[in-house]
Amino acid sequence: MSYTTEIQATARDLLSSDQVSCVIGYEVGPRGRTRPAFIYTADDADRLVWNQNCTHNLTTYLHQKLRPNGYTSAPAETERVAIVVKACDSRAINVLVAESQINREQVHVIGVACDGVFEGAGLGRSDGATLQHRCTECGERTPVTYDTLIGEPQAVDTLDSEHDLAHLEAMTPAERAEFWLSQFDRCIRCYACRQACPMCSCPTCLYERDDSQWIGMGNGLNEKRTFHLGRAYHLAGRCIGCDECERVCPVDIPIGLLNRKLAGEVEAAFGYRAGLEPIPSPLTTILSGKEG
Amino acid sequence: MTIRNGHNAMLPYLGKLVTVQDMAPEIKLFGIELLNVGSAQFADYQPGQFAFVSAFGVGEAPFGIASTPERGNVLEFAVQRLGAVTTEMHELGEGDIVGVRGPMGNWFPMEDFKGHDLVVLGGGIGGAPLRPVLQTVLDHRADYGHLNILWAARNPSLLLFREEYDTWRAAPDTELHLTVDEADGEWEHDLGLITDLLEKVAPAPKNTIAITCGPPIMIYYASKVLQKLGFEPKQCYATLEARMHCGIGKCGRCNMGEKLVCVDGPVFSIAEAGRFLESYL
Amino acid sequence: MQLISHSGLATWLDHLAQETTLIAPRNVDGVLLYRPVQSSGDIVWDFVRPVLSVKEAFFPATERVLTIEKTGQQIRLNETVPDGERVIFGVRSCDARGFLAMDALFANTEPVDVYYTTRRENTALIGLSCNEMGETCFCTSTGGAPDDPTGMDLMLTEVDDGYAIQVITEKGAALLPEITLQELAGEIPQPVLNDPVPFPPMEAWPPQFNDAYWADMAERCLSCRICAYVCPTCRCFDVRDEPLPAENGSQHFERIRCWDSCAGEVYRQIAGGHNPRAAKGDRMRNRFFCKFYYYPEQYGPVACTGCGRCVDACPVNIDITEVMHAVQRLAEVEP
Repeated sequence: MSYTTEIQATARDLLSSDQVSCVIGYEVGPRGRTRPAFIYTADDADRLVWNQNCTHNLTTYLHQKLRPNGYTSAPAETERVAIVVKACDSRAINVLVAESQINREQVHVIGVACDGVFEGAGLGRSDGATLQHRCTECGERTPVTYDTLIGEPQAVDTLDSEHDLAHLEAMTPAERAEFWLSQFDRCIRCYACRQACPMCSCPTCLYERDDSQWIGMGNGLNEKRTFHLGRAYHLAGRCIGCDECERVCPVDIPIGLLNRKLAGEVEAAFGYRAGLEPIPSPLTTILSGKEG
Repeated sequence: MTIRNGHNAMLPYLGKLVTVQDMAPEIKLFGIELLNVGSAQFADYQPGQFAFVSAFGVGEAPFGIASTPERGNVLEFAVQRLGAVTTEMHELGEGDIVGVRGPMGNWFPMEDFKGHDLVVLGGGIGGAPLRPVLQTVLDHRADYGHLNILWAARNPSLLLFREEYDTWRAAPDTELHLTVDEADGEWEHDLGLITDLLEKVAPAPKNTIAITCGPPIMIYYASKVLQKLGFEPKQCYATLEARMHCGIGKCGRCNMGEKLVCVDGPVFSIAEAGRFLESYL
Repeated sequence: MQLISHSGLATWLDHLAQETTLIAPRNVDGVLLYRPVQSSGDIVWDFVRPVLSVKEAFFPATERVLTIEKTGQQIRLNETVPDGERVIFGVRSCDARGFLAMDALFANTEPVDVYYTTRRENTALIGLSCNEMGETCFCTSTGGAPDDPTGMDLMLTEVDDGYAIQVITEKGAALLPEITLQELAGEIPQPVLNDPVPFPPMEAWPPQFNDAYWADMAERCLSCRICAYVCPTCRCFDVRDEPLPAENGSQHFERIRCWDSCAGEVYRQIAGGHNPRAAKGDRMRNRFFCKFYYYPEQYGPVACTGCGRCVDACPVNIDITEVMHAVQRLAEVEP
């Protein structure tokens, strides 16, 4: 059975037995682009697909499903949904659980043992051959948490995960600052990176220009730097490395690089990698004792 | 080679705050005297029009004008402290300089209302843009028929223009009905929603115009009750509020369907606005 | 029609870059954008379209509307109208067609927007025809064409030995190089066209307002603002004052206006929190109704030029052409 038929069969079972109200998975749109899909009936389950363009981290939709009235209201406790996740996405489930954003019992995780997704996936730029950079570095192709596993756990050779960071770290601080400012300069503040991120779950972003007392509304370099660096700090120890922020960026800012750098620092300092287990990041808990 | 025709409509006129009165908790009435060329622009604004007021350094926001030019050259605005601009405005005092752009939008067709009975429904801060309607009717009392004022707020302290109620009541053929959502034992008037009061007062629809301003939900339900009482949608007017950033039909923020609140409104008859009201909630 | 050789064109563009501000498609760290160029060598020639439309040269992501000087109770305002003449080379027909919509609002509807119109007056547009349409292009379905000279001052189309030059306006004629140009021999090749997309007429839209389609199609929307920001016609903006450094005992501020998008969650939220368009479906419905119904109703032109940018940039494949198909289909099944 192909992954697609397995996912469809799982979805059909879950929906027809009323175990979940919705299956969040992938479909292929009329233009041939793979995209998120919300499936509510067993009959619709045959829309679901699996392919190597399934790049979207669907866990970003869990909030809207499980907290339909907003983050500040109580979760909809009777709601239960299923979601298709890759290994990287599954780590987001653990972070969301650890941060009490979702109840694990309300999510039926359909984990996919993944072969990696293609560069340009979801945007019609996939050549059907080149893996995304992060996938070439990914040694964990099996989801860390799942209720149904599609495919067999598999081992892969990990490539040099320090490759692009090494390039960055070889720069002098001045060169690095110049590099990042020239990247941020292209930002148009569309907030796609934040919107695509499952970890960006604040009801009102600190850097939402419409409300913020902390950041100006304009598209100046200062605002853009503050936003990107601030967001990176807020994701340190929480980012699970799905790189969706970088994929969705319309002006190709290498945001994932920034996140990987900070994830590396957190791992070096605390021996912690976000999402491997449903425990909160040391950076979010370290002040929760006497100081908190 | 800048080619310029007329005034840059994004550029405010300067005005001086001449009065700042506390009206209610978090609500102040600002009186602004326009300086220089601005005063000519506001020589003949109409009831229902609005203007953008700048609290320089923070920004500007739209407010219904709460005065009439007939009563003097001081523009009045009732401003509730809610967002950044209104918070800054509440920090200002007499003598401070503010910016004003306008007058903007359409207005209540007061000429067409002549000879008609009027029901004026004001909810909370929504009473402010209706004050020029009341002032116009009171200043030309014989031109209009019976005037029913239904005035509401969450509690008595939030009722707007309280010091004017005696004048309103004393005017010929004029009734004032007050209601609040909650009140202590001192309160002698109605308790409950303005829609309940409306059903109780039950104005006759014949030859009557109803004018409403208040929160979206109030406008929506008041228009339902009015229609239940037999009012045709075209007899019911409302002045609407929407987020906007230019007031001149450019910024795109305030659309309700294909209508722009800033230039096609803010005054709409329910015949025009009825189909949008639900999406306005 | 006249012909300019490849080398003649390069020389002419080098000259323009010396004489004035020349903006052209340029590779900025792998991203194609309209940016000032120093010479013709900076220009990218082989492209479908830059990531952002040429709109940003007329209605920038952020622009200063005025400056405010506050000294004690005294206020001084300085209007900041843009100056400087510019030439933009490599403008695509879809982007120039965007000016039909933008002009209708900013230049042809009173009160005139001083900032936009000043830039329009101070800028000449040299168009570059597309030889073929990109995968997501549908300009021919919204009234345009890959070689449509509407809105251009000069229009260039690639031919065998160089580029054919069509002079559209006097402003364009004044830009022409002083060298003698050859007369073009033969025909200008016709561009290769994509199959058209259905274009639902205005009256097809209102009956679909309450259809469940909008909530369904918007469910995957991320509520980011890409679609509006890459669009050649989206023009919503926000205005605010922001501080500048103090000088000589005075406080200084600038009033800026910035792009905004009706897809953003807080777009319609008013002070106090009320948000009549809190639902994604309502926001996406507004976006597409605006393009094909509200905007034409308010200002005349359709607010979509078929450039396909939003189709390519949307991270979750919300596809305006799919919406056009859907509305057409919904309208057809009605009695």
